[in-house]
Amino acid sequence: MVVTREEVKHLGWLAKLEMSDAELQRYTAQIEEIISYLNMLNTIPLEQVKPIAMKKKFSELRKDAPENFEDAVLGTRYRKDGFVKGPRMV
Amino acid sequence: MATTTKIGLEIHCQLTGAKSKLFCRCSSDYRGKAPNANICPICAGLPGTLPLLNQKTVEFAAMITLALGCKFPDDIAFYRKNYFYPDLPKNFQLTQYNAYSITSIGVDGKLEYGNGKDARIRRVQLEEDPGRLVYASGSMDTSVYVLIDYNRAGMPLVEIVTEPDFADPKDVRMFLDKITSIIEHLGVCDTKLEGSVRCDANVSIDGGNKVEIKNISSFADVEKALRYEITRQRTMASREIQVRSETRHWDDARKVTKESRTKEEEQDYRYFPEPDIPMVLLGSEFVSFIRQSMPELPDTRKERFMSKYGLSAHIAQVLIGNKELADFFESTLMIYLSPKEIANWIVTDLMSFVDERQKKEEDKQHLLFAGLKVGPEHIADLARLVDQETINRATAKQILGQIVRTGEMPSALAKKMHASRIDDASVLAQAVQSVFQMEQAAVHDARRNANVANFLLGKVMKITKGTADPKIALEMIQKKLKED
Amino acid sequence: MPLYTLEAGQVVEGIKNREFSAEEYISQLLGRIEKVEPKVNAFVTLNKEEGLNRARMLDKKIRDGEQSGPLAGVALSIKDNICTKGMKTTCASKMLESYIPAYDATVIKRLMSAGAIIIGKANLDEFAMGSTTEFSRHGPTRNPWDISRVSGGSSGGSAASVAALECTASLGSDTGGSVRCPASFCSVVGLKPTYGLVSRFGLVSYANSLEQIGPVGRTVSDVVSILNVIAGSDENDHTTINSNKPTYSLQERKGFRAGLVMEFTEGADPGVSKMIYNAADTLEKQGCKCEEVSLPSVQYALASYYTIATAEASSNLARYDNIRYGFDMNPEGYEWNSYFAKARSNFGEEAKRRIIVGSYVLSSGYYGKYYLKAHQVRSLLKHEMETLFKRYDVLIGPTMPILPFKIGERIDDPLKMYLVDIDTVVANLTGMPAISVPAGFADGLPVGLQIMADQFAEQTMLDIAYLFEQAAKVQRSPEL
Ligand SMILES: [Zn+2]
Repeated sequence: MVVTREEVKHLGWLAKLEMSDAELQRYTAQIEEIISYLNMLNTIPLEQVKPIAMKKKFSELRKDAPENFEDAVLGTRYRKDGFVKGPRMV
Repeated sequence: MATTTKIGLEIHCQLTGAKSKLFCRCSSDYRGKAPNANICPICAGLPGTLPLLNQKTVEFAAMITLALGCKFPDDIAFYRKNYFYPDLPKNFQLTQYNAYSITSIGVDGKLEYGNGKDARIRRVQLEEDPGRLVYASGSMDTSVYVLIDYNRAGMPLVEIVTEPDFADPKDVRMFLDKITSIIEHLGVCDTKLEGSVRCDANVSIDGGNKVEIKNISSFADVEKALRYEITRQRTMASREIQVRSETRHWDDARKVTKESRTKEEEQDYRYFPEPDIPMVLLGSEFVSFIRQSMPELPDTRKERFMSKYGLSAHIAQVLIGNKELADFFESTLMIYLSPKEIANWIVTDLMSFVDERQKKEEDKQHLLFAGLKVGPEHIADLARLVDQETINRATAKQILGQIVRTGEMPSALAKKMHASRIDDASVLAQAVQSVFQMEQAAVHDARRNANVANFLLGKVMKITKGTADPKIALEMIQKKLKED
Repeated sequence: MPLYTLEAGQVVEGIKNREFSAEEYISQLLGRIEKVEPKVNAFVTLNKEEGLNRARMLDKKIRDGEQSGPLAGVALSIKDNICTKGMKTTCASKMLESYIPAYDATVIKRLMSAGAIIIGKANLDEFAMGSTTEFSRHGPTRNPWDISRVSGGSSGGSAASVAALECTASLGSDTGGSVRCPASFCSVVGLKPTYGLVSRFGLVSYANSLEQIGPVGRTVSDVVSILNVIAGSDENDHTTINSNKPTYSLQERKGFRAGLVMEFTEGADPGVSKMIYNAADTLEKQGCKCEEVSLPSVQYALASYYTIATAEASSNLARYDNIRYGFDMNPEGYEWNSYFAKARSNFGEEAKRRIIVGSYVLSSGYYGKYYLKAHQVRSLLKHEMETLFKRYDVLIGPTMPILPFKIGERIDDPLKMYLVDIDTVVANLTGMPAISVPAGFADGLPVGLQIMADQFAEQTMLDIAYLFEQAAKVQRSPEL
C-alpha cells in the first residue's frame, strides 16, 4: 500500500479539509492510484539535471514607493469596529 | 553543581525604514491606523494577486547581512511556509529557507559583542509579518470570536538566527544591545516603535532537550525570561525530572514561562519555492553597491571617535552603544568642536539626568533625552563657557541642572548669575575677610608661596557653597594678600 | 448573415464605419445567448446591462469622432477565474460564490481600454482543475457540436461560447492545456502564450509556474488581435518578461520545417491520428517539410505536471478559509480549526483531491522525491525541445489524443481523466507557446492540430497556424 487512510486523514488535517468516512475511503483509493503513477518520477536518472529557475536582477524589483489602495478590500460582512471577525482561538 | 547552559536566539526586526510593505505598495507606517485601513488586495491575500518584492527591503536585509559578517549566496529565493492561522491572509508565509541550495540572504556570520565575546550567526532571512489578533473580551479563552486586523500583514521582517552560543543571559542582553545599535545605525529599523523588534530564544542545559520560548515582546524582557527558564530547568534537573522538548510562552504579566496549551498535531510546513517571485541575482556588483551605500556601523564609529576625537575606549563605547547618544555627540561637535569636553558632559553629566526607568530601557518607546529640554546647542554652549573659563565646572554643572528643566541657554543663565554675583560683591568680600581671620597661618604662608592662595580660594568657595565666581574671588584674595 | 457570426476584425470595422452600432451587435449576441445557452451552459454570469451600456458609450464615442480602440465593440466572454472589478468572479466554486473582486486583472484593463466589451463570465472546472468543465458548481458546459459530450476544459465555457457564436472571442487560462483542450474539442482556435508573455495579475492562481492566460477565437486572426492587446510586461507580475510590447501580424509565409511528434500520434485514437497525418499532408502541399521526430521524455510529462500542479494548487487554495471573503458562514462560536475545515469542505471533489495530492508530494521528506524530480523533468523536456527547435520551426501533433467523450464518462476515474492531458502539458512544463487550430472532424467530432514553437516564437507559430487554417478550410460553427 502506497498511501494509507491514516496518511490521508493527516493530510486532511494539514490542509484543513473536513472529510466524512465515505470520502476518506474513496479519496484514499484514488490518491493511492495517483501517487503510484507519480512514483515513476523516482525511476528516472536525474542526478545531473538542474531545475530551471527564473531569475531577475535587483534593479528590476519594485521601487519602494507607498501607495494607498482606495477601494474596499474585504468582502466579509462579519465585522466589528473595522476588525474582521474570526472564529474562536481555543 | 556545575551546569552548561546553551542559549540560541531568533530575532525579528521590522524594516520600518522601508516606506512600503514587503510585497505590496501599502505603507509600512501601519501603527495607529484604524483596523484594516492599511491593506490592499495583495497583503489581504485576495485571489489573483501576486507578490511584488520591495527592492529596498532586499537592500536593508543585505546591509544587516554584511553587518553581521554573513556570506551572500549568488541569488536569493523565497519559499512558502504552509500553515493555517487566522492572522495569515494566504495561509502561508513567504519566507526564506535553506535547503537544497542556500537561498536566504545571509549565512554563516559572526558578531563580536563585547569583551572579546562573539556569537555565530546561522542565517539572516527576509520574510513577511502576519496580521494581528485581538481578543474581544480581552482573553483568548472567553472570546467567542477573534478580531483580526491585517494592517501589519506583509510588513517586512528580517529574521536573525544565532547558533546556541550564549551561556549567560547577561551576554544575551549585551548581544541584543549590539544588534539594536547596529540596526539603528543602518537606519533599517526604528527599535523604539512598539513590536518592531522581537526575540524568541531556545534554552537547553547539560545537553538536554531544547525549550523554545516565544512571545517575548521586548528585548528588555529576554534576560528575565531566560533567567526564569534556566532556573526552571535546573530545578527540574536537580529533582531528576527530564526537561521536555517544547515551546513555552513568556507571560509578560506574571514574568514566567508557560506551557503552550494548544497541543497541535505534528506540523509540516511543506516548504516549496514561491513560483511568483523569480530568484533575485545578487552577485559582486550588488555586494559592492551595498558596501558603498552602507551607513557607518557602531564599531567603525567607535574607532573614529577614538582616533579622530581622542576619546577613551570606554567613553566611545558608551556613546556608540546608543545611536541617539552618538548622534547627539556629533551634532554638538558640529556647533562647537571640543570633543573630549563635550563627550564628558554627555556621558557623565547629561546621562545623570536621564530617568532611571529609561536607562533600563523598560520604556523604550521614547528617546533617551525625551524628558530633558536640552539639545546639542545647549551642550555646545556650556562647553564653550567652560573652555573660555567664563564659568567654572561647578557653576557649569549647576547651570546644566537648571537648563535640563527650563531649556534656557547656558550663556544667558551664566550672565544672569554673573550679574547677581556683582550684587553679591560685598557678600564675597565678607567671606574673604572671614577666611583671612580663620586661616591666619595659611595667609602667612600665602604671602611667601603664591600657590597657597588656591587653598584660601577653596575655603572661600566652601563658605559661599560654590556660588562665588572663583576668578573674582581669587583676585580679591590676591589683592588682600598684598594690602595687609 | 447575422452580426453574431462576424469575426473580430469585421466587428471593429463595421462599428467604426457605422455599418451597424455596437449596441445592435451586443443586442444580437444577447439574443443568440438567450437562444443557445440552455443547450450549451457556457456562462456563469452574464453582463447584459453593463455590456449594453458599454456598447452605447462606444457608439457615442464613434459618433463624436473619438478614438475607439483596436478591439472596439468586440464582445468577450471571460473565464470566471480572471478578476473583473465589481463583477462576480466565482471560479465555479462555492468558496467564491459571492466574491466580487476589488480590482481588474491586467488583461481586463488592457482589453477594456482597447474598446472590448465583456459580455459575461465563462464556465470552467472549479479553480480551473479539470479537462471537461464537468467539475463546475454550475453544471457542465456542453459541446456545441454534440451537446451530449463534454466541451473540454477547464476553459470549456470560453471555447463553447466562441463555437456557439455567443461572443466574438474569449479569454481562457491554460495550466496544462486548459485553453487548447476545449479549443480542440469545440473546433475553435486556442492559444497558450510563452510563459511570461501575458500578465497573470488577476488570474486566480491554480499552478503559478505553469499557467498563462490565452485567447480563444474562431480564427487565427481573432486570436492574434486579442494577443496583441494583452501581451507585454506588467509591473504587477514579476514573472512577465521584461521587454518591449510585441506585435504579431499574419503573414503569408511558406517553407516551414515541422516536426511531427511520434509519441503524440502513436498515443492518440486512430481517428485522431488519421486527421493529424492529413493535416501534415495539407502543410506539405503548402510547401512545408514535415518529419517525424521523437520527444522521449514525454513519458514523464504527466507525472511531472500533476506533481507540480497539485503542489502549487494545495498552497494556492489555502487562502480560501472564508474569513476575509467567501460564502455566508458566521465564524462566531466555532473553534478556528473546525471553522476552517468545515468551510473548506465546500470545495468540490476534484479540488479536494488535488489539495490532498499536493499536500502529499510536499510533505516532509517527499520534496526531493516528487517536487524536485518533477522540476528536473521540466529541464529535461525543455532541453529536448530546444534541440528539436534547432532543426524545426515548429512541432506538431494532436492537441487531444481522443475525441470529445460523453459527459460523465470519465468523471469517476481521476487518473484516467488526467491521462488525456498528455499532449498539452509539455508546453506548460517547458514554458513554450502552443496553439490548437481546428483540423477537421473524425466521426463527426472535432479534432485539433497542436502547433508548438520555441519560447517567444509566437510569430512563427501563428504564421503556420494561419497557413494551415487557410488551406484546411474547416467548417466553423455548428448547427444549434
Ligand atoms: Zn498591501
